[in-house]
Parts: sequence; structure tokens; C-alpha cells
Amino acid sequence: MTKEEILGKLKGIIEPFVENQEALKKLSEETDFIKDLEINSANLVDIILDIEDEFSIEIDNEDMDKMLTVKASLEVIQDKLAAK
Amino acid sequence: MIGNDIVDLHLARIQSNWRRRGWLDKICSISEQKEIYTAQNPDQTVWKLWSMKEAAYKAHQRLFLHPPRFNPIDFICIDETVTIRNNEYITHSEITDNYIHTIAHQAAVAYNSKAFAKVDFHDKKELFEFISSWFQVTTSTISLEKDDNRIPMIKIGDTLTTIPFSYTGHGGYAAYAISI
Repeated sequence: MTKEEILGKLKGIIEPFVENQEALKKLSEETDFIKDLEINSANLVDIILDIEDEFSIEIDNEDMDKMLTVKASLEVIQDKLAAK
Repeated sequence: MIGNDIVDLHLARIQSNWRRRGWLDKICSISEQKEIYTAQNPDQTVWKLWSMKEAAYKAHQRLFLHPPRFNPIDFICIDETVTIRNNEYITHSEITDNYIHTIAHQAAVAYNSKAFAKVDFHDKKELFEFISSWFQVTTSTISLEKDDNRIPMIKIGDTLTTIPFSYTGHGGYAAYAISI
């Protein structure tokens, strides 16, 4: 899966939880889920579960710890996919 | 050090489905999950534990000034105490039909705290008014500034203070806690 494909799927996953729709239009790797997209922190759990389902990967606590930005999430997904 | 967190229970009900498979496993220990499932009011217990973890996270982050993390599972709740590694935070939760507000602090910290319904235009008004009366400064000189780790700091005039405080908002409610 290319980075663009992963990013596209990730965008679809986070979209329902985004409070700041303007920031979603400008989504980049630097985008922060809470600061920029104003996602409720409890919904980060849903995003993590949706990522696990979508990519058939398992995200452990250590990975979850850093998944607060698009960039960090992309890295975790890429690493997990590569390890499959 | 101090932190606080508020959960709007009406919003939480529509925003999060904590009964979703795997959801609790990501944030709660086995014993915390047991506490939830054996509680008379599991919904209330989930959000109480969540607000305890969030309030303790904020106190802990301010103590160590560390970058943002998402590690609620590392914050272990036993009764009204939250422990992360060797750090212990005492919590106080106020539970109403509308919200759960939790304050977390290290032992022997004097503080002032208040939860309230959010006002549209200036939802930090209550906090600013407290700072103004406690420190004898005019409200217009008070502002908040976030540091590199997004930890908010109180600025009075041109002076960035290190006053430990915490501000939280969710749905229709907000609250603050400040060391005095």
C-alpha cells in the first residue's frame, strides 16, 4: 500500500470525529488530531480501533502513546504493515 | 501540581460508544473494567475513571513538562487515587446528572476550582476573574499562552507565570483548577 493510499484511508477514518472541518481540508502530515482537528480525546480510542480494523493490524499501548498526529499514525501503520 | 477534567455526560453518550468491542481494553486495566461492569451505573463509572485519568495526565504532564501523549492505560485508578509509575495523584470527582468533574493533585496542594456551564463568548471568564481577585490584577492584563508542549501557562501583563492550573471544557460545561 502506498503512503497516499494509507493517508486516504486514514482521512476517511478520522473524518467522522473531526470538529474543525476547515482544518480537515488542509490536512497534512503535521496535522495534530486534538490541537488542529479538535477531535475529542475519548474518540482517539475509536480512531485507533478503526485503524486496526481497516488495516488488519494490532496497535499496542506503546504505539498508541504517540498517535496524536497524522505523521505518527502513518509511521505506526507503515511499520505494522511492513512487519506483516 | 494540579489537573482537572470535565465530561459532559449528555455529549459523551452520543459521542462515544464505550461498549464497542476493544474500546475499554485500550484505556482500562482489567480491574478498572471489572469496576465498570459491576457498578450500578456503568456509564457513570466509565466517565468517572476517564476523567480521573485525564485530570491526572494533565497534572503529570505539567509536573514533567513532557510532550503530549495518549496513554490513559498507564494511569492506574484505585479508589480515588491515580498512579502513574511512581507518581501518585489524589482525585476528587463531582458527579451531577449533567457532568463529571474531576480534580487531580499531588498531596498537600491548596487549590481553588469551579465547574460551570459554558458561556458562548468568553468561556475562560470564570478563571480570569478568580486570578484577578486572588492576585489583585486587572482582568484585561491576564492571558493564557501555550508552551511548546501545548501546556497552557498564565500570563499576567508581560510576565509568563508558572502558576499550576488546569482548564477543561467538554460540550456545554467547563471548569478550572488552580493552585493557590
